[in-house]
Amino acid sequence: MHPKTPLPDYFSNCTHCGFCLAVCPTYKLTGDENNSPRGRLRLWSEEAAGRLPQDKWTDFYTDECVGCLACETACPAQVPYGELFEHTRHDHVSAGRSKPPLALRLAAAAVARPAWFNLALLPARFIRSLGLSIHRFLFKGRPALLQSTAAYARELMQQHRPTGPRVAFLTGCLMEAAFREINFATVRVLIENNVQVVIPEDQTCCGAFQEHSGLAGAEPLRAQNRRAFLPLDVDAVVSNSSGCGYSLGKSLAPERPVRDVLAFLGELGPVRRERAGSRARLYVDLPCHLVHGQKAAGIPQNVLDATGYSWELAPNARDCCGSGGVYNIQKPENARAILAGKSAFLNEAEGAPVILGTSNHVCMMQWHSAGATGLVTRPYEVSHIIQLLDPGAGFAVRATAPASAPC
Amino acid sequence: MNPLPLSSQLKQLLPRGRILDSPAQLAGYAADALGYKSYLPDAVVIPADADELVGFMKGARQLGVPVILRGAGTSLSGGPVAAQGGVVVHTSGLKRIREINVEGFWCEVECGVALNDLDAALKPHGVFYPPDPSSGPVCTLGGNVASNAGGAHCFRYGVTSNYVLGVEVVLLDGSVQRFGGPAGGRGPWREDWKRFMIGSEGTLGAFTRFWLRLLPLPEKVWTLRATYPDLRSIEAAIHALVAHSSYPAAIEMLDPRGVAMVETSQMAVGLPKGSFMLLLEIDGPPALVDARVGPVADLLRHAGSNDVVLSDQDAMRQKLWKARKAAGGLLGQLSPDYVVQDAVIPKSALADVLQLVYDEADAAGIRAVNVFHAGDGNLHPNFLFDSRVPGELEKVELISERLMRRVIEVGGTLSGEHGIGNDKSAYMPLVFGPDSMRLQWAVPAAFNPTHQLNPLKVFQNRRFAT
Ligand SMILES: Cc1cc2nc3c(=O)[nH]c(=O)nc-3n(C[C@H](O)[C@H](O)[C@H](O)COP(=O)(O)OP(=O)(O)OC[C@H]3O[C@@H](n4cnc5c(N)ncnc54)[C@H](O)[C@@H]3O)c2cc1C
Ligand code: SF4
Ligand code: SF4
Repeated sequence: MHPKTPLPDYFSNCTHCGFCLAVCPTYKLTGDENNSPRGRLRLWSEEAAGRLPQDKWTDFYTDECVGCLACETACPAQVPYGELFEHTRHDHVSAGRSKPPLALRLAAAAVARPAWFNLALLPARFIRSLGLSIHRFLFKGRPALLQSTAAYARELMQQHRPTGPRVAFLTGCLMEAAFREINFATVRVLIENNVQVVIPEDQTCCGAFQEHSGLAGAEPLRAQNRRAFLPLDVDAVVSNSSGCGYSLGKSLAPERPVRDVLAFLGELGPVRRERAGSRARLYVDLPCHLVHGQKAAGIPQNVLDATGYSWELAPNARDCCGSGGVYNIQKPENARAILAGKSAFLNEAEGAPVILGTSNHVCMMQWHSAGATGLVTRPYEVSHIIQLLDPGAGFAVRATAPASAPC
Repeated sequence: MNPLPLSSQLKQLLPRGRILDSPAQLAGYAADALGYKSYLPDAVVIPADADELVGFMKGARQLGVPVILRGAGTSLSGGPVAAQGGVVVHTSGLKRIREINVEGFWCEVECGVALNDLDAALKPHGVFYPPDPSSGPVCTLGGNVASNAGGAHCFRYGVTSNYVLGVEVVLLDGSVQRFGGPAGGRGPWREDWKRFMIGSEGTLGAFTRFWLRLLPLPEKVWTLRATYPDLRSIEAAIHALVAHSSYPAAIEMLDPRGVAMVETSQMAVGLPKGSFMLLLEIDGPPALVDARVGPVADLLRHAGSNDVVLSDQDAMRQKLWKARKAAGGLLGQLSPDYVVQDAVIPKSALADVLQLVYDEADAAGIRAVNVFHAGDGNLHPNFLFDSRVPGELEKVELISERLMRRVIEVGGTLSGEHGIGNDKSAYMPLVFGPDSMRLQWAVPAAFNPTHQLNPLKVFQNRRFAT
């Protein structure tokens, strides 16, 4: 049998108060205590203490967890649920108690080699660049086919020569391979706001993919990112995906915090887009890995104001949309049931057009699927907030430099 | 007796709901919020809706095993655990708010509705349901009614029993009884039988739904907090407040160990180290509370506080109450396990009994943290221990018993809101004499004669005999 790694002792922090049940999407869905954070913690600790034999139901309930970490925010005892979950999931996968779907195993192997991954997803970029969407997760967009974000950033840096704070930017694996237009927009917004953008070319996938799926292989990726980011002379490391940012943050801790690009821009006070007369309305959903993982209060208000749209938080904006990293591939039925509750408001929402804005590409995929699979029957757009700040191709660096470099 | 195995019988009774019976499915249901005490049930059922719960109860007698109702499992007294084995019935499928009648100031809810979900649904209508146990985010109204839950604001508003107009309950004889309804809540006991149900701790029947009394939301609230250097001065402040005409809605106290716990956590609100904190609220029409808040603050200062903070801002209010209400959970940052007592004492004995708690706990090398409903004299000494260390639980139990004896000497009683369950049943004979116990026993004997519902609770030897 696979040798199990012992569970950390702070397991025992859990006082069984049950506050976490109220926020857990799988408990809300099933009403089963075992499918709640308190329940899962109990199953793991009972097994670790030798009071509960290995049981397929423990494996089942572990697999059911979305990994949204809402329970961490709700927990007064500060039980590090995410760490315990990752640990257990990893153990279950390596012992064969849980088997991620083939597509995920292939993807986990591919993301470790960004060049291959970029090549493998060239068809996806091509189809998207034609303005087509052929899969429920592929939201609309026009990514560059061949030019990388790093090359693009170098080009714009040469052209505009911003003088403000220097940031190192994590371009991500899936983001770069499939949704590169979001990275391009991020580079434009940063440079327009007089931020110098550095893109270390030896960076790699943040490892979130492996963390979510329980597959091995995260450690070498973390080590490579430490080598790529830590020696850089920059004011901040930023990410435009709350999930990847959260994961890279764990890799670079404690030396270097990783900032969400929107929080970073919030401190600068970004250039505002004017949309006088627009009847559009922006509904903002907050990714779990932003509010529960990175423990951010939300997306800064001045950033949302700077989009120029009238906006409001989507109902239950802090609750999970069901995407959960790779959950919508591992547990599509649950993910859809969770999304059904979250997305129902879009059918009635006011605005022409209605825009659903968030700050994580995986959540964008999930939100897009609400329309593609018939949960939402009226048209709506899905956007990354950074895209709503995008000045487009012909922009100039803002005139006034920010007072000081935030970091 | 039915010859079929238990799981097959359950499948017949619950065609749509869920039946859990493998060891890892039962493990999650082995405990309530006293996580260190574990009792594995034989099975768990999750009825899909109210009809299915009724159907289950109608056939449950034939099962020949104990039946234990469970809401959110936040009981602090061993209420919803299978002390004698049997089937745990989880009410998470019954979470409909059936009606909010604003004009009539009542609502009708199913037993599995979470308290804060009800609050959120009521708020836009300008009405509220006052009982506010700190477990509000998750505890259910079924659990609240079954334990006659209290909470901080019960000092002025009163506990759950003051707000239950009617209860629908299924008994094990299969009958569905409705005690009271939207117009309930008054009259001789023939009219008000529901009072037997409130606080019955799952020993009489399964509640399916309730009619609850609502009040208009107070127009304005002032939240005040004051810190004190010692027990005597904070006690003086409590006495003065209780006697004051402003009649606060809530009077809560945190001792220095509770204050330290809050201040070293993510909930820190800037309290001075080593202080005793009083948290209180006055509410009502703006003109009235604005006129009263000054004299109340003076009263707090006069009793010995030079640190009184007051606010009528909702953000500040939420922050202070969040810190207070998370205290039970915060204990987890200090210790793996805790036992909390729930005695109510005459307020004149407050300092005396608290001193006993500190002395006994210190002598035994056990940490005690006090966070409680001071206005009501409802103590909650939390004794921290580690169930993995042999002998620690026994020490805590010994201190608890000494405390209970003192509580009874000063004219106090066993439980203000958490119920007796099986955690406090051993103390029952200390409080109630044999005659009183005989009368109390007659109630479950009438509604649940074989004691199939929640056996070994409240009375130590109340056992289900097949
Ligand atoms: C952190 C924390 C803070 C707390 N603060 C307070 C507080 O301030 N005030 C307070 O009063 N309590 C408090 N409690 C205790 C507890 O939350 C309450 O007793 C609450 O009422 C229990 O509700 P529940 O839904 O969790 O019920 P459970 O724990 O599941 O059950 C409690 C009892 O109710 C019975 N029951 C449940 N549903 C039904 C039903 N449908 N029909 C018949 N019987 C039923 C059960 O059999 C059991 O005896 C606190 C607990 C915690 C963990
Ligand atoms: S991470 Fe999310 S789904 Fe998993 S236990 Fe916590 S709240 Fe539930
Ligand atoms: S909120 Fe934290 S302490 Fe409470 S039951 Fe959940 S994990 Fe345990």
